[in-house]
Amino acid sequence: MTAALADETAAPVLSPMLQRLAAERATGALMRDRGTLYLADGKVVHAESPATPGIDVLLTRGGALRREGWWDAVAEAGAGQRVGRHLVDSGRVPGGALELCHLGALYDAAFFALAPTRTPARFRYGVAHWIGPVRPVPVDAVQRETLRRRELLDRIWPDAAVDTAPLTRTGDPADAPVPPGRRRVLEHVDGVRTATAIAQELGRSAFHVLVDLRRLAAAGLVAPTAPGAPGADRIALPEVTADPDVALLRRLRDALEAL
Amino acid sequence: MPGIDECLLDVMRLPGARGAAVVDWTSGLALGTIGDSPNGDHEATAAETAEVARMAAEQPAFAAGSPDAPGGTGSAPPVEDVIVTTSAGYHILRFVETDFDSSVFLHLWLDRAEGNLALARIRIGEIAERLVLA
Repeated sequence: MTAALADETAAPVLSPMLQRLAAERATGALMRDRGTLYLADGKVVHAESPATPGIDVLLTRGGALRREGWWDAVAEAGAGQRVGRHLVDSGRVPGGALELCHLGALYDAAFFALAPTRTPARFRYGVAHWIGPVRPVPVDAVQRETLRRRELLDRIWPDAAVDTAPLTRTGDPADAPVPPGRRRVLEHVDGVRTATAIAQELGRSAFHVLVDLRRLAAAGLVAPTAPGAPGADRIALPEVTADPDVALLRRLRDALEAL
Repeated sequence: MPGIDECLLDVMRLPGARGAAVVDWTSGLALGTIGDSPNGDHEATAAETAEVARMAAEQPAFAAGSPDAPGGTGSAPPVEDVIVTTSAGYHILRFVETDFDSSVFLHLWLDRAEGNLALARIRIGEIAERLVLA
């Protein structure tokens, strides 16, 4: 049950700060540009990212748990930061199911949270997530898995724009058989939705959706919307003109000189 | 109230069991492991077996006759298990049906001389069900 290979290969470091926090067995929240990792005793106990549905969406969308059941558990055990344990102890979610779902959500959010960024990370010591302990994961395992996932995506189809851009259909699935799970993803590709939006609507892990989308892109069925195409720029920014208004600049200069 | 570790311990009680893992076949991530792995690296083994499980789960030939073909919300592929026989052992990949979106299977590596494939196949099916049942 222990990962024996931790010491054999030099552990890849995605975040030197995370590495240091693991070494000092820190407890708290590491806030990065695209998500937050929660540590307890230097291990990752939870992760969240706006790029991927939270465990509440995953559990309630598929029918594993009613929405009221989730909020009842949060109300009853949220203050004690033991919501995960409480879901199991109160018989709402089986222990194995919670572990599978929570681990999936943790690695999924960590993948996005550890995405390259120029914004410096912040760490708040002592902060704990209200979901509470479920199945802590070593920092090394999370970093290794995140790197492996990046490579997996690039092996399937090396176009990272698929992960973030609005997507459009480019082919007829009649030409190539698409398995049911991937077909549901394809049905949500409409020229406007991004991978994250599709994951939220389906209540699926965003990384799983990325894998499906890259496979669909490799099959020629999906492509990132070209810039300038309808739906591509949902926030219309004013055009930046190449030639400045010379007359206006002259008038400004004259006015400044006249002061 | 069994969790991942309890189920893996159960799997290892089978005669001839050499190693086992709970794996996500979309990503190739090992969610839990126990015992030995055929190439000495549980994570690499998980990535390899995940590819086999995915191929089986996604082939239209194996989807024929499944009750919930298109439109279903269940995450279970119509395939129940995949069995690979090698000169030294058996590998059973047993899909786990969950009522949230997932792509999880149990991998059992069984010694060919000591293991009982028929027994192991029945037991791992029961354990896969118990993993996600209260």
